[in-house]
Amino acid sequence: MSGFIQLVVSGLATGAIYALVAVGFALLWQTSQTINFAQGEFVMVPAFFVLVAMKVWGLGYLPSIAIGLVVSALLLGAAFKGLVVEPMLRHGVLPLVISTVALAILMKESVKDFYSSQAQQFPPIVEGTDIEFLGAVVSTQSIAIFFVALGAVALLNWFLSSTLTGRAMQATAQNRAVARILGVDVDRMILYTFLINGLLTALASFLISPIYLAKFTNGETLGLAAFVAAIVGGFNHVRGAVLGGLILGVLDNLAASYVSAQYRAAVPLIVLVVVILFRPQGLLGRVEERSV
Amino acid sequence: MGPETGAPILSLDSVVAGYGPMTILHGTTFAIERAKITTVIGPNGAGKSTVFKTVFGLLKVRSGKIAFDGADITNLAPRELLAAGISYVPQGRNIFPELSVLHNLELGGIAAPPAIDIPARIEAALDRFPVLRGKAKAQASTLSGGQQKLLEIARSMLLDPKLLLIDEPSIGLSPLMVRETFDILLGLRDRGTTILLIEQNARSALQISDRGLVLEQGQTRMYDEASKLLVDPRVGELFLGGTSQHGSTGGNA
Repeated sequence: MSGFIQLVVSGLATGAIYALVAVGFALLWQTSQTINFAQGEFVMVPAFFVLVAMKVWGLGYLPSIAIGLVVSALLLGAAFKGLVVEPMLRHGVLPLVISTVALAILMKESVKDFYSSQAQQFPPIVEGTDIEFLGAVVSTQSIAIFFVALGAVALLNWFLSSTLTGRAMQATAQNRAVARILGVDVDRMILYTFLINGLLTALASFLISPIYLAKFTNGETLGLAAFVAAIVGGFNHVRGAVLGGLILGVLDNLAASYVSAQYRAAVPLIVLVVVILFRPQGLLGRVEERSV
Repeated sequence: MGPETGAPILSLDSVVAGYGPMTILHGTTFAIERAKITTVIGPNGAGKSTVFKTVFGLLKVRSGKIAFDGADITNLAPRELLAAGISYVPQGRNIFPELSVLHNLELGGIAAPPAIDIPARIEAALDRFPVLRGKAKAQASTLSGGQQKLLEIARSMLLDPKLLLIDEPSIGLSPLMVRETFDILLGLRDRGTTILLIEQNARSALQISDRGLVLEQGQTRMYDEASKLLVDPRVGELFLGGTSQHGSTGGNA
């Protein structure tokens, strides 16, 4: 039983990170029909921004994290929108999707060539000590990750529902044409979404890299996990993406221990197939009405 | 009082516009009088909705000129047109389904200059539409079709526009709700708002209108008092579903 609790707690920590990435994924889809297959690389790369700031420029942890967040918002948010999404989306969703696949490869290879192909140590947000919880030994790092990640999602949720700008962003996602007609600055709202996605993936990067180490291949599994989490929860819902991320994190961890570590990578795909078969709109999703 | 008297509030002069490579308006010209309800009638594809989208800056004017209240508004963006005093309620459902009724209303004021007291205007709108006040905190998707249309109209009136463009407000509504919607439009007109209306049910729309504008292939065919168009046999045959009420032209095929 204590082993089970341990697995659930660390699974919730990973799941909360998946949730961050999945929320960004769902937001991009809602406001701009962007399916970002480089989302995993968006999580892989910010850790290297921080490592450059720390190791090349010799800055401390917190200033480097701050730089990592700003650079991620600019490059993975604004530049991604302006240089990849906007030019490609004019030609349709499929060309954009393929461009994001290409971008993923470019980012991966760039990190390998310009930084290192070796896994890099990355400092944790808190030093991990083990504490007892319901008879099980759990790491404070897992708990810290869980609360930081869900705290960020809660903050985002507060922004989206309790500020006029947030509600204008929701309006843009729910009915862009009408938002424009009412005078919402739709382009700015879409830009905000991209900046937020850049920040979410950067935060996920800073939380997960201490566990898995920073490596150029990290995006492969993370991108898939976020994609599946978003679909499982319902592609059009922030809450759904959070739920999907947590479920996936826990299942992933349990399967690795109780079934087989080799089959762990298959868990997201099995979950995906089951959800698509029985609840294609996702656990919390609504069936989308599309009108001309 | 003929249609010619008084300075028009909205005028289109040889406007050419359309979607992508497709041209729908080939030099549309007309002028609309102030503080009147004008119904635009015409067959499907006549360019009625296209006129609205072009006036409201959603489609580019390729040539020609649009003037509103004495100023050139050709190719202004929706935000600027809202500031100038035009609101637009398109066809179909135009709510944000997962935002509350209150937050839907609030977004009607997002382009307002800071001097305007939006919360007070929202209060006034909820006073005028008690059914919306009862559901202010509910998700807009829980409203009935008619209530959603009321919400859209209330929202479009939040900036107190001089001109309201409203496209097919009665579609999918019960006869009772259609009546209520028309009564609201008449009330707005009586307070001095100019209304330009497109309606599938042209006969009942003309009955509440002051003027009618007949559009065919993007061209103005007629512009006259609504009561005259209602009894005009040409209009009756073509657009009002067969014989006109008075001068019968002897049945339809």
